[in-house]
Parts: sequence; C-alpha cells; structure tokens
Amino acid sequence: MQLAGFNVLTDQHRPHLVGSHADPSEAEDRAAAHPRVLVVDDERILADTTAAILGRSGFRAKAVYDGFEALELMASFRPHYLLTDVMMPTMNGVELAIAITKMYPATKIMLFSGQAGINEILEDSKTQGFEFPLLAKPVHPSRLVEGLRTLGNI
Amino acid sequence: MPLGKPDVQTAAAKDFLAAIIASSDDAIVSKDLNGIVSSWNAGASRIFGYEAQEMIGESILRLIPPDLHHEEDFILGKIRAGERIEHFETIRVRKNGERFPVSVTISPVRDGSGTIIGASKIARDISERLREDESRFRLAALVDSADDAIISKDLNGIITSWNNGARRLFGYQAAEIIGQPIFRLIPENLHHEEDEILRKLKSGEKIEHYETIRIHKSGESREVSVTISPIRNSHGQVIGASKIARDISDRKKVERMAVQAEKLATTGRMAAAIAHEINNPLASVLNLIYLARQDGLSNQEIRDYLSTAESELERVSHIARQTLGYYRDTGSPSQVYLKDLMENVLSVYRRKMLGQNIAVDTRYNDLRKISVRPGEIIQVFSNLISNAIDAMPRGGRLAVSTNHITKEDGDGLQVVIADTGHGIRRHNLAKVFEPFFTTKGNLGTGIGLWVARQLVERYGGQISISSSVEANDSGTTITIYLPFNGSGRNEHWAKAPESNMGVQ
Repeated sequence: MQLAGFNVLTDQHRPHLVGSHADPSEAEDRAAAHPRVLVVDDERILADTTAAILGRSGFRAKAVYDGFEALELMASFRPHYLLTDVMMPTMNGVELAIAITKMYPATKIMLFSGQAGINEILEDSKTQGFEFPLLAKPVHPSRLVEGLRTLGNI
Repeated sequence: MPLGKPDVQTAAAKDFLAAIIASSDDAIVSKDLNGIVSSWNAGASRIFGYEAQEMIGESILRLIPPDLHHEEDFILGKIRAGERIEHFETIRVRKNGERFPVSVTISPVRDGSGTIIGASKIARDISERLREDESRFRLAALVDSADDAIISKDLNGIITSWNNGARRLFGYQAAEIIGQPIFRLIPENLHHEEDEILRKLKSGEKIEHYETIRIHKSGESREVSVTISPIRNSHGQVIGASKIARDISDRKKVERMAVQAEKLATTGRMAAAIAHEINNPLASVLNLIYLARQDGLSNQEIRDYLSTAESELERVSHIARQTLGYYRDTGSPSQVYLKDLMENVLSVYRRKMLGQNIAVDTRYNDLRKISVRPGEIIQVFSNLISNAIDAMPRGGRLAVSTNHITKEDGDGLQVVIADTGHGIRRHNLAKVFEPFFTTKGNLGTGIGLWVARQLVERYGGQISISSSVEANDSGTTITIYLPFNGSGRNEHWAKAPESNMGVQ
C-alpha cells in the first residue's frame, strides 16, 4: 500500500553506515529544533503513520519495520528518541531497547505495545536492570507526542 | 437266626472294613504296646513314604522326629490306660527326612477279653491345610489393613464381605451391610451400571479402574475408581465378585481445578493474541484519522488516509467476528464443521505465524458436521497450534488436515497437525500427556496436552503424538480422532461430577 506523503519519511535511500555523520555541532543545533525519532514497528501502516504524525509535530522521524533495521540505522540517523513496538518477530522491542541503551546510552526510549501478554518480557528486562516507559496501543497521536516530549524533559 | 451266619457276617464286615482302610486318604496304622507297627495302609505309604513291608515289625519311632520321641512314651501311657487321643497336632518325618505337620487320632485296640493289646492310629497330613490357613490369615490381615474398600458380593449382587476400608469409604459397619444388595451403594441413575458389571463378571471379565460415583451411608456421593474381579470356586465357576474401590474425590477435585486453570490460561493466551490483533489496527486507525484532519492535504491524500483506515477497521471486525464468538460457548454440543473451528484458531495465530516465517498448509476433507462443544475443541486446537508455533521459532511449515475416516465401531473425523519444529525427545515423548509435564520451562503450564487428551477422550476420541528430533527431518505430528457418535457418551461423563458437587 502506498500512502500519500510517506516517502520522505520512510527513508527510501539509507545513508551509509560509515562516513555519513553530519558535523556534530551542527547536528546539536538542529536537534534542539527538530529532535530525531526512530519509530520501529512490524505493522507497517502503524510505523509509517506514526512517523508522519511525529514529522508534523516538530520531530524528524524515520520508520523501520524490525529491530535489525533499527540497529543498522542508529549510527547514521543518531536519533534522540526510540519509539518501538514490543512484540515483533526476529528481535523484540525490549531486546532492541537494551541493545541501544548499551550502545547509545543517551537515547531516550519509549515502548509501545498493544498486547497484554508482554509482562514476562518486561519482567525479564527488569531482572537485567533495564526499565523502559510503556505506552499502551491504541494511543491518541496527541498523547503520543506529549509522551515523547515529557520523556525529553526528564 | 441260623448257625454259621454270624461268622459269614463277621467275615463280610471285616472285608468291608479292610476296603475302607485301604481306600482311606489318611494313614491308618496299628501298633502293639511296645510301639511296633503291625499294620500299614496305602494312605500311610503315601503320607510317610514307606511301603508296608518296610514298616511292619519296625518301631513307630521311625516316624517321629528324635526331639519328639518323648511323645511316644506319653501316647503309649495313655493307650495303656485305655484313653483315646484325638486330633493331636504334631510333627512327623517322612522317609525322605522331610518333617511335616500331622493331626493324629489314636485309640486303644482290645482283644476279645477286653485287654488292651495295642493302638490304632489315624494320621492326616495337614501341611496343606496349615498353609491355606496361614495364607488366609495373611490375606484377611491385608484386606483389613487396606485403605481401599474391599468388598465381595455374590452373583445376585448381595454383599458377602466388607473390610475396614469399606467402612471408612461408605460409612456402613460390616454387620449392617453384609447380606444387603450392592445397590445400596449405587446412585439410582447409575443402577444400570451394576447390570453391565454383573454381565461382564458372569462371562469372567475383569473391570479395571472404572471411575464412577457411589453413595455414602449419609447420602453424600463419593467419586471412586473401582476394580472388580470375578471370584471362582475350585471348579472354576464364577460364584461372585471382589470389588476394590478407591476414593478419588480429592484427585477429581484437583483435576477439575487444573482443567479450569488451563481453560483460563488458554483463554488468556487467546486474549493476548486477540488484543494484539485488534489494538494494532486500532492504533493505525487513530493515526490515519488524525492525519486526515491535518491542514493542507489534497483530497486524494485525505481519501487515501481514510480508505486505509477503513480497511484497518475491516481487519478489526474480522478478528472480532472470528474470535470473540468462542466465548459465547453455552456448553451444550452443537453441530459444526471442524474445519470452521480450525480456521478460527488459525486466524488468531496467522499473523504471529507470518511474523515467524511459518507457512501454513491446510487440507480439509470433513464434509460432515460433528457434534461437539465448539469451545472445547477450539481449546484443543488452539493449544496444539500454539505448541507448533512455539516449536518453530525460526520458521517452518505447519500442515493441518481433516479427514473422514471409518473405523470398526463407526465413522469419525481425523485431524492431523504436523509441524517442522525442533521435535520432542523420545524420553519426553511418553510424558507429554501427563499433567504438569512441560518441555517449555517457565513458559509452559504442563497441562495443555493433558487437558487436550481429557477433552478428546470425553468424546470417545483418541489423541496421539509422534515426533522426530533428527536434524533436517525434525518435527511433531499430533493426530486426533473424534467419532461422530461421541457426544452422547460425553454427556454422562461430563455432567455426573458437577451434579454431585452440589450434593457434597
């Protein structure tokens, strides 16, 4: 399915992993105005629309559809925020969140999930010493934006 | 009376007596007052092992163990005094040296003038009887100390024995129940069971671990497992039955709780899967509507957002139709296609399987409806499908088929669920249907397959498993057979315990 206005956001051509970093100071300036968010969800429509909404709310957002894609993009995109689904095939959202916390500790992470049965996964991460805020799906877009902003102010 | 006749009569009487002595099973021996043997019958030869010519003229002491030789002095003393010794139980020795128990009766023998000239001795080998007595006492002690109720009855169903276990289980004392019909213990609606039991017993069949309901003296019901065996007389004729009954009320209560818990667990798993299926498209719909309301969009863009929202809502309603219907299950059997139940279950897990790279291959050949409780069968299928998915974390193929098959005792449907997952090791395979056995660590409750088997067997069906852990050829196949005429049997089984719960 092709949705209007998504192409810019879904990152058609991926930046190379090496040598594509923008000048750090310039990046910081832009970040203040437009913090970057990486949206990860295997539900493509949800990932795309969420990125579109964040794009309209003052963020620079990219959507990817699984954890490995997200990890690949981290080095080049350098997001301030990670917003990830929990129940995904290949790598679940908590595994992704833990990996990113270890590699990029400054990244602020928010989980969002539509499933009640993720308690075990969350318990599991707690025993490993990791705890992430969780938004329950479905969430109204304005609350999602608000949630991310609040996370940024902590 | 003419002369000479008394002599003839005496001679005839003597012959008659001799014949009796010769044919007696007991040893009949005579001896003089010095203990020297003067006659020896065939019974004596059989019991002691000596022929007549070996013993006549020999001392009776040969038959008495050396440590008991003093007995002979005592016996001879009594005989000399004209006394008789009856049923004296002692030990004697056979020719081969074997000591054995005997019961002897010794009487003085007198001549024509009344003078005591010796003794006749009748000895009976009682080793067999003592052995029987001993085993009978042992058995009686065993029966009395058993926790289980052990009851015997004749072929008219009249109780003939009653142990302590029976007293504890049913509340009656032996004295008040022996001689009473066994029907006193059987609930009225199950009286037909006794006819069936008696019929089987008369044909010599044994009934093992038959689970049913019995009535305590107080009128309360007890869930029991009974084993009934025919009792035969020495000619092999069935003359009655022994019945061992064990109280399984507690076990049944635990089983019912476990089944209930598993139902909840299955429901929980289904609910979690359903929540995921519904919440994701709902979240998309919220996003799409939000986007469609933004300023500065073209009509085309708005239409695109809204039509995507529409198709996401279609997805939600499809899932809701397919899944939430399960829980309307009223508990009474209805005519359904197994195919439809299987499709319902697959639709819940379809996305999960897609995400996990599991290809699904379905072949349905059940063109006939079957009478089942849909909720139960969905629970069984859901359990098996989710096991298959768990076994294939890195993808694979799930093959599901239904077929109409004909067996000796009627037609039914066969459902085969085969995965290409990691398989189950041989030593675990035998245990998968046992309660609380799991190969999934903390994630498994260990009763899914056990409950699946209970449910299938309630319909008079069967469930079996085969599995391979061989590299490149691993996987597990579950085969379920459900007979078309199975739900009738189910009725009694499923309802009896519940209705009795109220009484307790």
